[in-house]
Amino acid sequence: MIKTNRILSFSQAIKEAQTQAMKIDPKVFIFGLGVDKTAHIFSTTKNLKQKFGKKRIFDTPASEQALTMFAAGAANAGMRPILIHQRLDFMVYTFDQLVNWIALWSFKSAGKSKMPLVIRAVVGRGWGQGPQHAKCLHSMFAHVPGLKIVMPSSPSEAKGLLLSSIFSNDPVIFIEYRSLYNSKEFVPQKPYFLDIDTPNLRIKGKDFTVVSIGAGVLTSLRASKILEKNNISFDLFDCRSANSFKMAKIFNSLKKTKRLLVVEDGWSKISFSSEVISRVVESGIKLKSPPSRIAWPNSHIPMSTKLEKNFYFSENEIVNKIKNQFINTL
Amino acid sequence: MQKSKLLKIYKNFLKIRLCQEKIIDKYHPEDKMKCPMHLCIGQELMPSVLGYYLKKNDSIFSHHRSHGYFLANKGSMKEMISEFYGKETGTNGGLAGSQELSCTKTNFYSGTILSGAFAMAVGDAFAKISKKQNNISVAVIGDGGMEEGITFEAINLAHLMKLPVLFVCENNMYSTHTNIKERSRTSLVSDRVKGFRIKTILVKNQNLYKLDHILNKTINNMRKNKEPVFLEILTYRFNGHVGPEGDDHFNYRPKKEINYWKHRDPLVKLEKLINSQKIIKEIKNDIIKEITSSFNFAEKSKLAKKWEQFNFNNGYSKAVKSFYKKRIFFSSKQEDHKPSSGKPY
Ligand SMILES: Cc1ncc(C[n+]2csc(CCOP(=O)(O)OP(=O)(O)O)c2C)c(N)n1
Repeated sequence: MIKTNRILSFSQAIKEAQTQAMKIDPKVFIFGLGVDKTAHIFSTTKNLKQKFGKKRIFDTPASEQALTMFAAGAANAGMRPILIHQRLDFMVYTFDQLVNWIALWSFKSAGKSKMPLVIRAVVGRGWGQGPQHAKCLHSMFAHVPGLKIVMPSSPSEAKGLLLSSIFSNDPVIFIEYRSLYNSKEFVPQKPYFLDIDTPNLRIKGKDFTVVSIGAGVLTSLRASKILEKNNISFDLFDCRSANSFKMAKIFNSLKKTKRLLVVEDGWSKISFSSEVISRVVESGIKLKSPPSRIAWPNSHIPMSTKLEKNFYFSENEIVNKIKNQFINTL
Repeated sequence: MQKSKLLKIYKNFLKIRLCQEKIIDKYHPEDKMKCPMHLCIGQELMPSVLGYYLKKNDSIFSHHRSHGYFLANKGSMKEMISEFYGKETGTNGGLAGSQELSCTKTNFYSGTILSGAFAMAVGDAFAKISKKQNNISVAVIGDGGMEEGITFEAINLAHLMKLPVLFVCENNMYSTHTNIKERSRTSLVSDRVKGFRIKTILVKNQNLYKLDHILNKTINNMRKNKEPVFLEILTYRFNGHVGPEGDDHFNYRPKKEINYWKHRDPLVKLEKLINSQKIIKEIKNDIIKEITSSFNFAEKSKLAKKWEQFNFNNGYSKAVKSFYKKRIFFSSKQEDHKPSSGKPY
């Protein structure tokens, strides 16, 4: 176990992962709209051009489709591209490239070809981003075989998962919630790798099993602090990936707690939370109360401040749900 | 034209033609190649001449009408036919069929969803520059594929970034059964591309000499100067759009037009130039032997068994292998998660 006292923000952690990856391997390069300018993708690409030159990080025309195939062509030829979209919504242009080409590249070559690329995409979530700038489509991507959907929940997770994604031989869609960029955490300095497919037990508890991913993990952590006062605690699993996570640890936890809540920052229908709940149901593990979830309403996202605020859940909803279920099933 | 070059181009051409004629013979009666196929009989000239100029580590990204490019780029006929049979010895392990034929060994890739491969060549060319290889990438497409927006994005990117991509558009005037005049008021694709100020070339009438001359000059130039070029060749598909049977009973192409192009079959011209029945016969025999042994190989091979495991590679880069062993384990639960207060930023 490594201990560290160095605190980084989520965006600093991502920048550090990219910087280290570019140092380790000259085949790593970064491109996308505005990656080397002004806001530097929430400061995650700041100074990289000075360090590595314009051949390793470059701005592009607004041609998401061709850029995605550009990444595919370069990855197939042995490079390790990182393509960045300032909003995940822009990526919808590239469904053909992802679904008809990138996702099946390894499959249709019978394992002879590889597609080691990373697509970083930012979820707008909050501050009036509205219906075209705040969608989170991880569940849609997660449906397609051959893609790995990674959703970091904190700075230390972001660094390790991004390094793993960059050096993985599979295509990774790396989804970052904008609301996390300023969250802070201790982060080890050396490059390290985290296992994309193994959920991380973020906190240990006794009464509940909470499964989450991305920003939902932080909201759940906040809920746990409140519930401490009521002497209620839970195991919190950060699934890390929206589609390649393994269930073993979660099943073990459920055998102990017998209560399940899935917390997801995304639409609830046909989703990550649907998947977790159905796998638990299929496992036959007997629960004391029906499995439940907290996720976004099945509606497009309103811009107006008050409506928007009500659209997203906070730690209070988690606290209430857990309290109610817990008290009802004691 | 030098004799040796002429013979090589002829061999390429004849191989593509005869191999596909064999496929037509066998497809229905035997019903063992159960996958859609887009044959390129009538359009062999471009791949045959291009094949002559490609070097090791050059790559081709082709549209669905790909057999000619696969074979001309030194792809193994055995593996191609086995692929059509769905055999494990197929170039894609029997998982892709004709529509997405590819070969990692020869840098040949294709796909049947319009226009994706065309744009992929641009990223491939970027990789070649990054790795300081003196190679080119070829992107092949039809006139129909050139109607997808991604093609213009790709041409712009290649031009902007000065990447050695040879864009080839085989304009056979039809997208499935729809004439180009029903699809656009500019029936020359190169006219639409000119606005990017990328170098464009138009080759009419299946003109062997002109095509050879242009490719010779252009490809040499591209290796030196690292600039993309857009080449449009006017050509004609002799068979149906898809499958072994003709589709002219649907009357979507005028008889006069069909006859015009069939009378200009480049194969006739090539054989006239060689002007020796003896040589032609020798070459033909060799090719027929290769075809027979390819089909035998495919017949004898086992049907594909492995599939699911190929969805993911699950491996990691060699660059971090040693480093990966020393991976750091730490548990974030030991650390204090300190969310910032106030606005996200
Ligand atoms: C995105 C997409 N739309 C439609 C099709 C169906 N389709 C397959 S081939 C084809 C015609 C393409 O014509 P062209 O590019 O000129 O090539 P040709 O078949 O003439 O060689 C069409 C429309 C497809 N494969 N992909």
